[in-house]
Amino acid sequence: MTKALPLEGIRVVNFGWVWAGPVTGQTLSYMGAEVFKVESQARIDMTRNLPPYAEGEPGFNRSLSNHACWAGNGSISLNLKEPEGRKLALELISTADVVVENFGPGVMENMGFGYEELCKVKEDIILCSMPGAGLYGPFKNVRTYGLSLTSTTGLDSLVGYKNGGPIPVENAYSDPFVGIFSAFAILTALNHRDNSGVGQHVDFSQQEAIMQMIGPDYMDYVLNGRVGGPKGNEHPVAAAAPHAVFPCAGDDRWISIAVPSEQEWLQLKAAMDNPEWAEADAFSSLESRLENIDELHAALAQWTAAFDDFELTEKLQAQGVAAAPVLNVADLLENPHYKARETFVEVTHPLGFKETIYGAYVKTSKTQANVKPGPWVGQDNERVFKGILGMDDVRYQQLVGDEVIY
Amino acid sequence: MSSGALSGIKVVDFGQMVSAPFCAKLFGDYGAEVIKVELPAGDSARNTGPFPEDVPHQEKSGLFFVNNTNKRGVTCDVRTEAGRALFNRLLEWADVLIENNLPRQMQEWGLDYDSMASVNENLVVISITPFGQTGPYSGWNAYDLNAYHLSGASSRYCGRPGEMPLEHGTFAADYFGAVSAAAWGLAAVYGRGMVGGGQLVDVSCAEAIAAAFVGGQNIGGYAQDGRFDKRTGVGMPLGAPATIMPCKDGHVWMLALEVGQWQGLKEVMGNPEWADMELFDDMLARAQNADIIYPFIEEWTMQHGKMEIMEKCQAAGCPITAVFTVAEAAEQPHLAARDYFVDIDHPELGSIKNLGAPFKLPASPGGPTTAAPLLGQHNAEVYGEILGLSAAQLAQLESDGTI
Repeated sequence: MTKALPLEGIRVVNFGWVWAGPVTGQTLSYMGAEVFKVESQARIDMTRNLPPYAEGEPGFNRSLSNHACWAGNGSISLNLKEPEGRKLALELISTADVVVENFGPGVMENMGFGYEELCKVKEDIILCSMPGAGLYGPFKNVRTYGLSLTSTTGLDSLVGYKNGGPIPVENAYSDPFVGIFSAFAILTALNHRDNSGVGQHVDFSQQEAIMQMIGPDYMDYVLNGRVGGPKGNEHPVAAAAPHAVFPCAGDDRWISIAVPSEQEWLQLKAAMDNPEWAEADAFSSLESRLENIDELHAALAQWTAAFDDFELTEKLQAQGVAAAPVLNVADLLENPHYKARETFVEVTHPLGFKETIYGAYVKTSKTQANVKPGPWVGQDNERVFKGILGMDDVRYQQLVGDEVIY
Repeated sequence: MSSGALSGIKVVDFGQMVSAPFCAKLFGDYGAEVIKVELPAGDSARNTGPFPEDVPHQEKSGLFFVNNTNKRGVTCDVRTEAGRALFNRLLEWADVLIENNLPRQMQEWGLDYDSMASVNENLVVISITPFGQTGPYSGWNAYDLNAYHLSGASSRYCGRPGEMPLEHGTFAADYFGAVSAAAWGLAAVYGRGMVGGGQLVDVSCAEAIAAAFVGGQNIGGYAQDGRFDKRTGVGMPLGAPATIMPCKDGHVWMLALEVGQWQGLKEVMGNPEWADMELFDDMLARAQNADIIYPFIEEWTMQHGKMEIMEKCQAAGCPITAVFTVAEAAEQPHLAARDYFVDIDHPELGSIKNLGAPFKLPASPGGPTTAAPLLGQHNAEVYGEILGLSAAQLAQLESDGTI
């Protein structure tokens, strides 16, 4: 694990805010890129003021969720309303490979950071713009939040209890999804730059990236003109039964069980000691199980309800049946599997307090991500302005005093 | 060579169903050369619908069609010695292997990471599984459903209290894992010179979601204070309106939190008297009185269509959107104007619409151009041109059932 990380030497200037853009920066950083978020006390990102706070003490440098979601990013603080602030941002961009932003279309241009302007300071710059619905098109200025953007992709129409209306997913699954996805987009552009010598302006529409997830239902519409609704936990293309979450002993304890093949159905029956109900004609083939799936799930739920979720999982896995407990947030931290994979790690923030964040959410065998918690505002100011841009201390102090570096 | 951004990168896709095939498709759609290797029985997605008119046919699966564009397809029975030797020749050629078999299955085939690395030390192996290559659950049998529900996402964010937690109605864990794999995997390829060769990129779909989605927002607070939240069945419990609400012809995502947004919504609703009650002054107060305010708003939404509500509210500055059905999403003029949908010619299905490039690269455009391969369609081409096998050798492999 002493090897250099794959993206060492790549510098990223990240205007991304809230959640998606910072995850882009995080992903590139965990793979070795040097990432600086550009922000300012003149306009504190709303996620910096989300409780709970480190040691219970409020402050925009102490939000625990912000530090986890922004982990890996560095931070410089520049008041971009000041011409001098904008000039310094451009100076940093002239030394960078990649610029990231997730504002609405046109905002970067208004700040003087349009793609053409960036090219003037760095000819082969890669600008990755990730607005909700892309840089052009009649719907480009649509207003959404991350958690509701999914409604414009068809995805929300599939979430909910069977035969009921759609139920909201209560946070923006799309934000980390597009954050990670856009890191892939940036890497394709970097590869193209290395192949051809040219940079480009990536038009990353969050809507279009998310819509890839409804591929199976989209094909049913294309091929059969059919429009699906909420499916509960049933298989997305009706290729497994049983396929659901079943109650277990205790408060809000559940187990997921998925049975796509005939062999796995036999294994499930064996695990249940071959009860009479499971021998019924109604359940004798996948086709008939799908046809009678409500009855099947109800019968299985009666059996699972008496078991502890973890014990039942072991019992079913011993027979080769795909089953797993349904974890809540508390379970995640205590879970032996996540502990073994060091999914969550306690770190010490540069401001001195300890906090728990997630580490490298993908494991690589030769290299190990340098996991550091989300930055305090302006954490890398001296390193960037004096170190990279060669500013002397007198001017630095003056700009701090003038609230340009702020 | 293609002019795509990933031109020059050679990929072997040894996946089935969704996660690995979708990940490999992303490489192929942006210009990498992708060879999909299937066992003689084929990727199980071929036996999974949707099929035209619901008639099963190995070459007509919509699921296979959508996740396997821009690939050439070969068959190879890795369970035999001859098959494994052939597979290893492909690994020698490749920069990347993408697969999603259970770890014990790869072991059984003699295709664990160390064996493959000994064939080609520059190979990047991207393994995408529900639980990953290490840890106590890595030996478990599992699918998308099991991975999703192990991530904490459903318990925390989806479903009504007391009722079963929900997946998203698609392969949400597989897609999340595939995208994570594509990003980390491509970085491993891009940085091989820096790192000094290939490596294993081990993606657990459950872990990626548990970390980047659920963990980010919840784990710090729980670790410090011992408190955690669960699903409420409502969009946002601390602000209102923020939920999905029925309307005359479907549903809308009803969101008006900030002062300006709430004012805008009130105007669109015709400034009803009830909306000026003190109870509804700010988003938190409205959330605390959700039982009262939601029926009021719903009375109004039920008299209007979702497109009308969206248009008027958007114009008034509210982030309110229609909950599109899949058909409505597929037919939106905006996506047509952006050429998001493409026509693909398929030998069995005919000319069929497909989802296009997930992101636009003006200097090196991507997106699907060629249809998913038929089973073994490119055996002669790939094994002949790339591995240099003679016609006689090919015939032998065919007759002994290796391909």
